[in-house]
Amino acid sequence: MKMLLVAEYRDGKLLANINELLGFAAEMSADIAVFLVGTNDLLPKFQGQLYLADVGKHLEYNPDSHKALLLQVVEKELPDFIVFSHSSYGWDLAPRLAFALGVSQISEVVAVAEGCFVIPACNAKLRRQVKSLSLRTVLTLQVGAFSAIDNPDTLPTVLPIDTDEVPHAHFQGYEAAAQGGVDLTKAGIIVSAGRGIGKPENVAIISALAKALGGEYGASRPVVDAQWVEHNRQVGTTGQSVAPKLYVACGISGAIQHLAGMKKSEFVVAVNTDRDAPISEIADVLVVADLKQFIPALTEKIRSL
Amino acid sequence: MNFELTEEQNLIRDMVREFAETEVAPTAKIRDEEERFDRALMFDRLAELGLTGIVFPEEYGGAGADYISYAIAVEELSRVCASTGVTLSAHLSLCANPIYLFGNEEQKQQFLAPLARGEKLGAFGLTEPSAGTDAGGTRTTAVKDGKGYILNGTKIFITNAGDAETYVVFARTDKQAQKHHGISAFIVEKNTQGFSFGKKEQKMGIRSSPTMELVFDNCRIPASQLLGEEGQGFKVAMKTLDGGRIGIASQALGIAQGALEAAVNYAKERKQFDTPIAKFQGIQFQLADMATQIEASRLLVYSAAYKASHGISYSQASAMAKLMASETAMRVTTQAVQVLGGYGYTREFPVERMMRDAKITEIYEGTSEVQRMVIGSALTK
Amino acid sequence: MKILVCMKQVPDMESKFKLSPGALWYDTADLAWRMNEYDEYAVEQAVRLKEQVGTADITILSIGPDRIKETMKKALAMGCDRGVQVADDVAWAKDPLAIAGIIAEYARSKDFSCIFTGMQSQDRGSGQVGVLLAEMLGFPSVTTIVDFTHENGEYLVKRELEGGVKAIVKVKGPAVFTCQLGLNSPRYPTLPNIMKAKKKELLTIPVEQLQKTAPQQETTRIFFPEKKGGGLILEGDIPALADQLIKILKEKTSVLA
Repeated sequence: MKMLLVAEYRDGKLLANINELLGFAAEMSADIAVFLVGTNDLLPKFQGQLYLADVGKHLEYNPDSHKALLLQVVEKELPDFIVFSHSSYGWDLAPRLAFALGVSQISEVVAVAEGCFVIPACNAKLRRQVKSLSLRTVLTLQVGAFSAIDNPDTLPTVLPIDTDEVPHAHFQGYEAAAQGGVDLTKAGIIVSAGRGIGKPENVAIISALAKALGGEYGASRPVVDAQWVEHNRQVGTTGQSVAPKLYVACGISGAIQHLAGMKKSEFVVAVNTDRDAPISEIADVLVVADLKQFIPALTEKIRSL
Repeated sequence: MNFELTEEQNLIRDMVREFAETEVAPTAKIRDEEERFDRALMFDRLAELGLTGIVFPEEYGGAGADYISYAIAVEELSRVCASTGVTLSAHLSLCANPIYLFGNEEQKQQFLAPLARGEKLGAFGLTEPSAGTDAGGTRTTAVKDGKGYILNGTKIFITNAGDAETYVVFARTDKQAQKHHGISAFIVEKNTQGFSFGKKEQKMGIRSSPTMELVFDNCRIPASQLLGEEGQGFKVAMKTLDGGRIGIASQALGIAQGALEAAVNYAKERKQFDTPIAKFQGIQFQLADMATQIEASRLLVYSAAYKASHGISYSQASAMAKLMASETAMRVTTQAVQVLGGYGYTREFPVERMMRDAKITEIYEGTSEVQRMVIGSALTK
Repeated sequence: MKILVCMKQVPDMESKFKLSPGALWYDTADLAWRMNEYDEYAVEQAVRLKEQVGTADITILSIGPDRIKETMKKALAMGCDRGVQVADDVAWAKDPLAIAGIIAEYARSKDFSCIFTGMQSQDRGSGQVGVLLAEMLGFPSVTTIVDFTHENGEYLVKRELEGGVKAIVKVKGPAVFTCQLGLNSPRYPTLPNIMKAKKKELLTIPVEQLQKTAPQQETTRIFFPEKKGGGLILEGDIPALADQLIKILKEKTSVLA
């Protein structure tokens, strides 16, 4: 089995999601080649062939020429699978390639089973198992679904590629993420403070962890009532209902009013000294510890990742 | 016979529900606590969505929809905020509708169209200290004087009062006539000299809907603002209230539905003895009874609304709908508080507000006793 | 200017889903149906574009059984001018390529200068149809847009990337855009417009007339993901606890990726 993995370069960086694609290929025991529109000095770490096009010429978003470049490589490598990350780059480019090749694309793969690919359906409430009917198959992998592998000391053999395809869409540059007003309902990661934080100064511990994780901080009702945290950060029946990927409940016992506002979170970590606190019922992980010691230690370690 | 809503009715329900949940619900609690009427939200937004003139023809600024659509709109608003529901009901059923039914063409253009478009808010002044249910007891007087009438008297418990621009008011034009004869209806505008507002009521429920006294002190009204014929006021009032009952019945239905949903959600989450209380038969039976009574009320309300839209006599139907829906609302909200237990009694959950809001539906626009009188006398006449 | 919006009717995602007999899709009985959330932004953007250019004609197209007409009426009430229902009782089983093929067959030679779709459907979520449609028509396409401006047949849009960063892209029409949540604020269909939508044209075309593309994939099974087991309890030394938690987060979530 042969796979062509598509790495991504953005704004001066090689994105780490290539390591998950490498992990997936390893799990499938596939032979690999990697495709990248990037630069010579930032290469993914693996053993094998890297097809490299110059990002200076082909830009970071230029689906027409990226597609043309990929087609060249597919013709040469004849891979069984062309694998993207299900990222803004992957879901944009993958269908273009699939159509040009006349093959199927399976989006947001989370697992492999019975020679088929498993993907989420209905907001991840269901799973669908899909079989490809085409000679080759384009896959996009859900971010985080497969374990990344890291080969610190290996470097690929670089084979430059080029094309003179004229683009239809013209990339003009980036706009930085907006700062300002918080909307917890849109946050992918929320770290929330409960009564257990003890005093207003400790909100800083919570917000520091949120920042280190790239998320937002929230609070339970008592903390907001005490005016330690502003109301638009309140989670619960009288605050926001949230459904982040990760919800870290710090010093929150788990009153039903609070649970109602966060029970749809995908993964819940509770930090509490009371192992029988009701929050433990819906937590995926309960850390029995004093949050004033544990959270700063955790934040420090996450920062240094 | 067809029990399915039309595509339009379904779309209207979806639209009003989405609006109610995203814009009205978030402030329902705080408006109740502050006893604050938020006109921009509770009326101006309704106008933008075309809800303030649902049942009236387009030539009078309405949307040309039917009474079932109206019932659905009031129900959906009341499901999250009974005060917003009654604002619309009093405006449309009690003020705009009598002008539509009894007004002449000029009155419809001058008064109905701005009401239907939601540029003006309407209210209805019938009740007096000595005349509530008994409209015949009206003591406010309107004395003919040259080309107009001079009004004197006081109206109490008037929904939308103070904020409304247009009022349909009842006064006695013939002091000699007995009981319900000799009463006439008038259209009175805010800021008319001699028309002012008395005290604001402090109420148990629907606290975000303003309720005030109207005071007429030698208030001169041009004859062109007489609604219907002189002496026809009692008929105007009774016809208006027939329609108003559909509005209040829909409000009650919405309150009950909101309370049921709150109770069901809570029962699925709340655990006792390691089991969600929704799994206990005692709770399930209560929820089943609540849901069944609500569905029975809904059928009565929609059937009365259907009759109103199709020119079928509906006094009795609207009385039955209001009686059933309001008593259901009271019972269901009380049970919802019980299902939520201690939490239900706190103001953190909405069911205590719903229980307070429900009570008025058994009282205004004809108490339950009056509805029984209407139904009973129709049966035995 | 002719504008096409592609819309899908999906179940309310809060529904309690059941599997259909045969377990190839969810059971469609007793579900409340809605406009795919992403498509609401597509409809809204089309209506805004029409408001901007003054004269335009917006077609709303949807593929599915009779029940999708109600959701199409919502789009008409929001401001689309005419509807095309591609009648297909088994649209649920079609892969993105087949769906895009049906739309392309309809849209080809219709002279649309701008096509909007949602970036994905809430139920199938493949996120492919818009791009495939564009490729089939030979139009450029930009996915996941969160900002849209139009001037003289040129479109300046912003794509949403990871971490809130946006890529600014310029493209000349005719073009296809797939819309991300937050692109605009979809309007409520007002009551008078709901009533007026009744009178707008809603054409039905049998899918057989448009179906030319063979599927490239098939569903073999649909199932519920495994339920969470009881929560894991971690106790002990603070630094060790932190390491343990980080390891779990790496394995079980994507937040540290």
